[in-house]
Amino acid sequence: MISKTKQNMSDNSIYFLVWGWLTFIACTAQFVLKNIFQYEKHYLVWTVIIIGVAFSIYQGRKEGTSVKAKTYVDENMKHLWAGMAISFFVLGMILTRLGWGTVIFPFFIMLYGLGTFVSGNFIQFRPLIIGGIIAWALAIGSTFVNYDYQMLFGAGAILISYIIPAHMLRYRNKIAND
Amino acid sequence: MIIMNEQEKILTEKESLDLITQMINKAKDACHDTGIAAIMWGAVIAICSLVRLSELHFGYRLPFDIYLLTIVAVIPQIYFTIKEKKQRKVKTYDDGFMDSLWMGFGICIFLMIYTTSAMYSQWDPAADEYRKLTGNAYPFRLYEFTSPLFLMLYGLPTFVTGVSMKFKPMLWGGLLCWVSCLVTIYTPIKIDLILVALSSIFAWLVPGIIMEKDYRKAKSELAQANV
Repeated sequence: MISKTKQNMSDNSIYFLVWGWLTFIACTAQFVLKNIFQYEKHYLVWTVIIIGVAFSIYQGRKEGTSVKAKTYVDENMKHLWAGMAISFFVLGMILTRLGWGTVIFPFFIMLYGLGTFVSGNFIQFRPLIIGGIIAWALAIGSTFVNYDYQMLFGAGAILISYIIPAHMLRYRNKIAND
Repeated sequence: MIIMNEQEKILTEKESLDLITQMINKAKDACHDTGIAAIMWGAVIAICSLVRLSELHFGYRLPFDIYLLTIVAVIPQIYFTIKEKKQRKVKTYDDGFMDSLWMGFGICIFLMIYTTSAMYSQWDPAADEYRKLTGNAYPFRLYEFTSPLFLMLYGLPTFVTGVSMKFKPMLWGGLLCWVSCLVTIYTPIKIDLILVALSSIFAWLVPGIIMEKDYRKAKSELAQANV
């Protein structure tokens, strides 16, 4: 069952990859725009998440129409990531309202770590567990640097906890299929 | 009739049925979690918030920080966890998921305390300045303004547990945490503390009592069945 779920996670790793790359691009682009081009509205790069939302809705509907047996483990993963999505949204609202826009990254990195750590433990996929733990270490590390460099910590956390494990899952699945 | 490979023992139909019933009952028993930990944490967070509220409202100060109670509560939590693991007959997929979810949540609570403390250390010079100018101690601790962040975190594992276990009291409790979290962004500290107390009561204490009641009921039914 767990092996089947790993396979399913690999099928669903497209979500990790799309969201991972979008967030990674946004973090690094914001760093470049703010620190190299001194562009005032550097935060506008985060509008790229609209692409992620549109993709998730499209992909979710597409999968919803296809006939595929959902396992118990799939359901739990779905609930976890639904909860994570709500938490990201609520966290964004809190930090915006409180005016803590310049200390946003440690909190977000902490949540990235939570999602991947729990997923990794559940499907027993070590790269995700390690990625989650490293993300937490980066969340602590990011409190020692100013906002400009926190963006790079965010990009690093996404790379280690989402992008690399997702590519590893896909590669593993490809080999298994071959 | 069932033939057991190792012992080569042939079971009668009645024995087979008994064995199946026994296994189902064992699994049923394992699926009923005790609500002790949820009751404890719900009560601890509610007590901390309400005591702090009374300190602010009546203008007194306990000789110790009431939030230290949350650190003390970690000791019985470790005891409950070890005891539960020893008693656990079958480890289901749900158990693994819940274990990692709540362990991750615990780590995040520590990270949240650390991160907010690191942020507020920047405010300490302002607090010193206030003390010098007015001759009074700073009237509040800045970390108490972090209620929305903690409520956001409380909501996550509670909601996911509620949905995954199809346990509505926790699902609604998790949602209440998130709603309270959004409200506390706009409200003063005293209201924040009331909302934190209410959220912990409805997200953990009440569901914990229901879980414990179900667990005891299932246990006594199992004992009555004498299996």
